[in-house]
Amino acid sequence: MNALKQLFKGRNSADTAKQRLRFVLIHDRAEIPPGVLDLIKDDIIAVISRRLPIDRSSVSVNIDVAGEENRLLVDIPLLAESRRRPDGAKRQL
Amino acid sequence: MHPIVVTITSGKGGVGKTTCAANTGCALALLQKKVVVIDGDIGLRNLDIVMGLENRIVYDSVDVIEGRCRLRQALIRDKRAPELYLLPTAQTRDKTAISPQQMVQLCDELRKEFDFIIIDSPAGIEQGFHTCLAPANRVLIVTNPEVSSVRDSDRVIGLVESQEKGPAHLIINRLVKSRVKRQEMLSMEDIVEVLSTEVIGVVPEDENILMSTNRGHPVALNGQTPAAMAFHDIARRLSGEDVPLQVQQSTSFIKRLFGRG
Ligand SMILES: Nc1ncnc2c1ncn2[C@@H]1O[C@H](COP(=O)(O)OP(=O)(O)OP(=O)(O)O)[C@@H](O)[C@H]1O
Ligand SMILES: [Mg+2]
Repeated sequence: MNALKQLFKGRNSADTAKQRLRFVLIHDRAEIPPGVLDLIKDDIIAVISRRLPIDRSSVSVNIDVAGEENRLLVDIPLLAESRRRPDGAKRQL
Repeated sequence: MHPIVVTITSGKGGVGKTTCAANTGCALALLQKKVVVIDGDIGLRNLDIVMGLENRIVYDSVDVIEGRCRLRQALIRDKRAPELYLLPTAQTRDKTAISPQQMVQLCDELRKEFDFIIIDSPAGIEQGFHTCLAPANRVLIVTNPEVSSVRDSDRVIGLVESQEKGPAHLIINRLVKSRVKRQEMLSMEDIVEVLSTEVIGVVPEDENILMSTNRGHPVALNGQTPAAMAFHDIARRLSGEDVPLQVQQSTSFIKRLFGRG
């Protein structure tokens, strides 16, 4: 959540309030405590990074509300090395 | 010093209980006390967002009571002070989810670890007030210098006494010294006289409170704002220090003095 704080820096406090409210209301309505997403994120990082090099610090897990439906949006940026084959050979284009 | 359970309540709603609980908790923690603030407003949780800890919640007090987690797992550490913790409440349950007896047990458990347990209670006539009153050693009643708030405080002072939790003390919140001077607003002395109750602190109206709440960063954490200074005085009095009562000027007034507002 530090990234979130960084984002808020320099902004006015009403804007900060609005962002924080958006976030907390999504979680209130979905009845999912925000901290659970951080735990899920840690789990996902552990599982994926066993198979692929990923940019751990940029992984994001968010709840997205679209109409009646809540969904979990997970974004996992891959590191450059993942374009190589598991055997270490460069991919042929 | 024995651990102290401080319940912060009021007669009327919206007078500043949550603000006072968050800031008094921060101020005590900065005095090197081990502090936990408990959100006692089940179903309407707010202390988490006022303190800026909302995104760290996994478990809450109802999860502890119903055995879904251990107490330690539900406590959120506030890293901005040496030893400050929040025990959040459930957002989707009602006031009956924790009984007065269970609240006493919860606080008994916390007493083993903490110097101060601060409970942000719902207003005095609401359901849930008795649950927050049950474990209290000290009861602070937040009052605004305004007729309906003072009147409703009297009822709660009576309720506290009838439960043998008295004498309650007052936090007079949102006082504007200049308006008292112009005799537009009840003074501390007026309120003390009407309620015959002692005052533990006078918190001025302070425009920094709104901005600090927007950011989830209580003024008492590092501020030199008028309200922050009042909360530090309250914390010292709760710790047993003899601090003379003084009424700070409101921010807007200070700004006017220096021609900035
Ligand atoms: N000293 C102060 N100066 C300026 N604004 C204040 C002050 N104290 C509280 N407020 C503002 O008053 C409003 C109500 O405060 P708060 O939520 O703490 O009240 P409450 O008693 O906990 O309410 P409820 O009864 O709904 O639980 C908030 O907007 C808060 O920012
Ligand atoms: Mg409140």
